[in-house]
Amino acid sequence: MTEPGPGVDAWTEQTSAFDRVQSIASTLSEPRPASYIADEAYVAENTARNHLQRLVDLNVLRTIDREGTTLYAPDPLHTRMQTLRELLDEYDQDALLDLKADIQSRIEEWRDAYDVVSPSALRERAARTDTASETREIKQTARDWELLAYRLSIVEDAIENYATYTQDFEASA
Amino acid sequence: MGGPDWTYDPAEASHRALRGIQHELGRHPIVTDVRGFPTGELTRVVAALATERWGADRDDAALTVRWFAGATADAAPEFSFHYSDEASDSGWHHEPNPHVEGWGHYQEWNATTEEYTYDSYTFGSANPTRVVWEVMSSLSAELDAD
Repeated sequence: MTEPGPGVDAWTEQTSAFDRVQSIASTLSEPRPASYIADEAYVAENTARNHLQRLVDLNVLRTIDREGTTLYAPDPLHTRMQTLRELLDEYDQDALLDLKADIQSRIEEWRDAYDVVSPSALRERAARTDTASETREIKQTARDWELLAYRLSIVEDAIENYATYTQDFEASA
Repeated sequence: MGGPDWTYDPAEASHRALRGIQHELGRHPIVTDVRGFPTGELTRVVAALATERWGADRDDAALTVRWFAGATADAAPEFSFHYSDEASDSGWHHEPNPHVEGWGHYQEWNATTEEYTYDSYTFGSANPTRVVWEVMSSLSAELDAD
């Protein structure tokens, strides 16, 4: 375990070892071994292994075997299902349609403003900008566009399967 | 296990990071409200802060967070934690900036010169959760110093 950096004392006071392992593992950008996650979460490696296995059992994480080493990575399906659940809790079907329209409008504004059809095409435009601020603005817009496209795919999923996803709740209400 | 070993989607990774940041800020004792912004879209996370709990009474104290997980899984993330209140404007950034060497820096608005000042800053971790607590600790120190 490394020396505590800024904020680590407050973090460990406010959270359990399981909380920290889950928070670190759920936000990994690439598969990592238990030793790495233990180090980042300020827990013993054996503790991390136990919590990681529990998170695998709960389908929060997936394991990947690389050359005999077990690596842990977030399960993208779990993140997607969590987001779906939040949307269904916060919005009814009409409100989901309004949200879809809002996101589509924003994307259409970018399409019209930059005369491109995708975030990758927008990034190519950044090669032809005249100023640093314009380049930064295009880069940020391309990122927001990617994020919104991902979000839109989940909103559409919620709308298309609204009856199925809410069936059990409505039947028991 | 079926399906591919593991695939990387920058938008999914960024979305996941922002969700994690929102969750982590919600655990912090001076955060009174935290939400994805714009509503329903989540391209940023915005938190309202009760800085008086640190002994620094500031009106309209807020933190706005952006996070981009990188074009590839092993690429460094680009992010910013922007703090503002009725009297000040500052932030911890990890992204290219012509005023500093390297990506990590702290920038602060100088009301006298009406320009930002920039100082290099080295983050202890690139994990979104760890960065949240590090920035909150650094913010506490900055407000304490003012």
